[in-house]
Amino acid sequence: MKTIEWGFLIVSYLFLGGLSAGLFFASGLAALLQKNEQSGTDRIARFGALLAPLPVAVGCLLLVFDLGKWYRFYKLFLHFEWTSPMSIGAWLLLAFSVVSLLCAYAWVPQEWRERFFAALPPRLAFLRRVNRDFSAWRKPLALIGLPMAVGVGIYTGVLLGAVQSRPFWNTNLVAQMFLFSALSSGCAALILTIIFSKGSPEVAELRLLYMLDICFLALEFFIVVPYMIHGQLSVQAVRESLHLILGGPFTVVFWVFFLGLGLLLPLGIEIRETMPALLRNGRFHYNKHLTAVTAVLVLSGGFLLRYVFVFAGQMSAFK
Amino acid sequence: MDRRKFLKVAAGGAAGAGVATTGFLLTTAGEKPASVVARREVPTTCEMCVNKCSMIAVVEDGVIKKLNPNPENPKSRGMLCARGNAGIQQVYDPSRLKRPLIRVGARGEGKWRPASWEEAFDFAAQKLAAVKEKYGPQGSLWSSTESFQESFFKSLGLAFGSPNVERHPTLCLASVNLAYSLTYGTMPSFDLQNAKYIIISGANRLESFITPDTMDLIQSATDRKARLIYLDPRFTVTAAKADEWYPIKPGTDLAFILAMLRVIVEEDRFDKEFVSTYCVGFEQLAEHVKPFTPEWAAFETEIPAKEIVRIAREFSDAAPRAVYYAGRRSSWYRDDFSMRRAQAILNAIVGSWDRQGGMVPNGKVELGELLFLPWDDPVAPRADEMDKNFPLAAKGDGAYLTLRENVLAGTPYPVKAWMVHKQDPMNMLPDQAKTIRMIEQMDFIGVIDIQMSDTAWYADVIFPESTFLERQDPVEILPGIWPVVVMRQPVIPPLHDTKPTLEIVQGLAKRLNLSQYFDYTIEQWVHEQVKDLPVNLPLEHLKQHGVYVPPGFPKYGTTLKPEHRFVTKSGKIELFSERLKEAGYDPLPVYQSPQQPPAGKLRLILGRRAYITQANSTNNPWLSSFQPENDLWLHPTVAENMGIQDGDKVEVSSSVGTVRLKSRVTQEIRPDCVFMLHGYGKRSKWQRLVYGVGAADAQILETAWDKVSGGAAFHETFVKVRKV
Amino acid sequence: MAARAKRYALVIDARKCINCKACVVACRAENGVPLGKSRNWINEEIRGEYPRLLATFEPEQCHHCQDPACVRVCPTGASRQRPDGVVVINQSDCVGCRYCMIACPYDARFFREDSGVVEKCDLCASRLDRGELPACVETCPSKLRVFGDMNDPSSDIAKLLATRQYRVKKEEAGTNPRIFYLL
Repeated sequence: MKTIEWGFLIVSYLFLGGLSAGLFFASGLAALLQKNEQSGTDRIARFGALLAPLPVAVGCLLLVFDLGKWYRFYKLFLHFEWTSPMSIGAWLLLAFSVVSLLCAYAWVPQEWRERFFAALPPRLAFLRRVNRDFSAWRKPLALIGLPMAVGVGIYTGVLLGAVQSRPFWNTNLVAQMFLFSALSSGCAALILTIIFSKGSPEVAELRLLYMLDICFLALEFFIVVPYMIHGQLSVQAVRESLHLILGGPFTVVFWVFFLGLGLLLPLGIEIRETMPALLRNGRFHYNKHLTAVTAVLVLSGGFLLRYVFVFAGQMSAFK
Repeated sequence: MDRRKFLKVAAGGAAGAGVATTGFLLTTAGEKPASVVARREVPTTCEMCVNKCSMIAVVEDGVIKKLNPNPENPKSRGMLCARGNAGIQQVYDPSRLKRPLIRVGARGEGKWRPASWEEAFDFAAQKLAAVKEKYGPQGSLWSSTESFQESFFKSLGLAFGSPNVERHPTLCLASVNLAYSLTYGTMPSFDLQNAKYIIISGANRLESFITPDTMDLIQSATDRKARLIYLDPRFTVTAAKADEWYPIKPGTDLAFILAMLRVIVEEDRFDKEFVSTYCVGFEQLAEHVKPFTPEWAAFETEIPAKEIVRIAREFSDAAPRAVYYAGRRSSWYRDDFSMRRAQAILNAIVGSWDRQGGMVPNGKVELGELLFLPWDDPVAPRADEMDKNFPLAAKGDGAYLTLRENVLAGTPYPVKAWMVHKQDPMNMLPDQAKTIRMIEQMDFIGVIDIQMSDTAWYADVIFPESTFLERQDPVEILPGIWPVVVMRQPVIPPLHDTKPTLEIVQGLAKRLNLSQYFDYTIEQWVHEQVKDLPVNLPLEHLKQHGVYVPPGFPKYGTTLKPEHRFVTKSGKIELFSERLKEAGYDPLPVYQSPQQPPAGKLRLILGRRAYITQANSTNNPWLSSFQPENDLWLHPTVAENMGIQDGDKVEVSSSVGTVRLKSRVTQEIRPDCVFMLHGYGKRSKWQRLVYGVGAADAQILETAWDKVSGGAAFHETFVKVRKV
Repeated sequence: MAARAKRYALVIDARKCINCKACVVACRAENGVPLGKSRNWINEEIRGEYPRLLATFEPEQCHHCQDPACVRVCPTGASRQRPDGVVVINQSDCVGCRYCMIACPYDARFFREDSGVVEKCDLCASRLDRGELPACVETCPSKLRVFGDMNDPSSDIAKLLATRQYRVKKEEAGTNPRIFYLL
């Protein structure tokens, strides 16, 4: 009985989990690179840290509602099955969520914090004890959280890649592809946040994010290509499963929408924008609309990658 | 029942044998105990088809959970087919008949009111009495089909004074039964388990009906013990498992057999000693088959001559472990009797009689009989005029198609009341429009059934019978090479306000002043049947085991003594039949090339799938799920010419009706035939899964019958197919 | 008797299958399988062109693999393998994530919308515990399934495996299946 069991809830969950990982990664990196409050990476670190817990929280909700018995989700935390990527992932997500929440708290502006605690009803006054400045914890939390973020990014791919019976997924490259896609979607989300937030974006901010994103997208591209080469050179079942994107039902989505519009086009735009600044010490282009479109393309590419892999993978099988 | 255990388990788990009740811990997948369940196992006998396989019903907290096969029956041997397994659904079917119903709308409108049993009995008795008053007792027709309580119903008809008890064989196996009876004096069984060479014409035993023969055939065919030659215009499961499949031209099987006979006779391959000792008429046969050369047969059948010669030689070489297998439903062509006779003759001349691997006369077990007050035999002649139309056929079974013609014509006398016991003439008979006309001219129709069949849908009063898992039946003998006695006992009490047939018969008898003939209980009846069985506490034995297996079977060669008298005119196996000649028929099988469909038409052939063989289980959800709708099989070249693609809706019309159903374009059928399954396109809205779903073959089949046996000829209809 | 661990397995002689569905209905009754779902099924294939046709029927169900992918990926341990090799699902621990369904190379599992959990053939574990054969094995008219302990050299199944050629399905999925199809 061949059925598609994991649908758009899981696709979204994988995307959102990866997005959080990407946000945290960029934020953590910025925090570690940060020299002082005024440096250009401050907003990246802050926005990333503040945003990072949100997508994963929504994603986890989606995941729970995808369960046949959603109210049994707690059972995931009564067991630890080291052979099950989902069990490892559940624990990892839990740890990552805790760290990213702490980190977000450490980045909450003082002004917001004061306002929040002032508004607390007297009954909850004891909570005011945590109304303290934890900004010193930012770097240590980033250090702890960075590997976790990478883990979460990898995990969303391992979840699929570890399924040996679906030839379409059956390579480690899926995990890496998902990781770099996750990291790049984090950058894209930060770019969007920064260009639409108060205060004009600084060149340094954008340059860092663009360069990170170029790296991630390029890495992703250089994994997608070997993925296909590897598949073509692999056993028959894997080769046949690639037909799903090479003439099969996911061909257009994969080539046009994911690879073309979601990866290569934004990669090209970003390189074009960044190159002059890098090579000839020239000016860094900045066009708000183009930048926004590029970031949205990257985000949709990330989503479509999950869509193609989740659906096509389930349709592939050994004969 | 310990034979069902494949391994010994520690105490606690094993349930007691027989009807013993055991409380035990029901566990889920070996996890912690869930609850204590009262569990019983009751051996009984299946009634999902007519094969009487033994089963063990598992009852938990009063609910039937599972029907398991009973390995103690050497015939059904631990087998229970899909239908048997789905028997539970018959009991818990929400749309089964739950209380007596009296019609309030027009016939076929489906408006009913519930009635008490008293009221239903009064109503029916009054109507029957009125018909008797006006037309005499012969003005009533009593239709019934094989079931353990059928005899009570037939007795009521006869005691009422009607000669018109109409059974199903002429829609089924009348021609084959008659052919073997006129040749051997009996209808034998076929020892498929031990045969080495089996030829089958169309009897699709691996697909159409799961019986003990199916089990024997599958074992011998797939373990390479026997060579299976199969002739069928359609590629069936039996064809798939056969060593050789020939898509024979429909209706030409007799030519194939005649050519085989000729080869065997000409090449001196027959069993001379057997023929001279036990048969009569070999000389006439030898003369008769001379013209039927393999080349001639090849032209008729489209089976190459050299294959016919080879098969004839291999068949005679393998004899007596070689049989031309008779099969079950033989209502195919107008000359069906002759074809079956030729098979019987072929089997005889190679000596495959009463020997291992050949045909074997059925073994017998003696059952006792309860003595009841006999009634006067009906005085009127039968309305189907068996004596005139089919003088050699089995009288008690009647001939359904001539009956219908006569009732419609009002000859030899009017028939105005129709009592139907678990039959569905609306779907059994060809030309449904004609059956509806027959129904319309009735003053009264009463139906006993467990479900709202299409016939019940047109009835005036409906008596709901308890299902086979809710009632005690008389014990029955399963005849065969290994005869056994089987018991059907209640597994649970009736769920609804239903009664077994005997009580329905008694309720009617009381109001028809016939009570004196039905003055017994089912317990007394069963007691008398079994009390002399040579086993300790026979009734207890049957209740505990569900089956009594007499010792000493299988027996071969009981008739192979020169002094043995066969129940034929000559006392021998009649290759040439004087009786046929006297009755004005051909004493040896005469072949007539079948009429071919005119241009633009195709021959409609029928067949069955085991889970829905008779039309009564297509509304069983567990079974219908395998084939929710029937379709019309069409060969791809034919379909292409008509512009029909697989799955297109097509209209199929004959001279008597038109139906619409989906097409199935397939390589599995001859280009000159179309095929559809039986049991769909029902008119009864209570048959909710098949009401108006697919199409009913009965609506397009034309009326035709075999002239010797009166058996219906269901494969003689030519249809026009077009895309709609 | 030697204290060798039991290892239940199935040998299937698909040539004997007549596609009669008795096993499917028996399973439905025994295990309360809802309509539209099935713990066992028959793969049908018809090849060729009239009149040279070939039909094959191949019964299938959970393969009770030695290295079951479903058990490996289950995040709560609800899917597990009993010491006798039977792969079972503890319904009260199943959260309905369906990861196991995706991991099963044989698509032998299904999701029950009514109960929100995953289900599959457990070789009628409760019948086994009573010493009875699985329902499909018992009811089959062709008796094409041979069930037993393949570690017991005196069992029918061990004898068949020792003397007959057989194949397994999708060996390359690497789960070490324990349904053996006779050749």
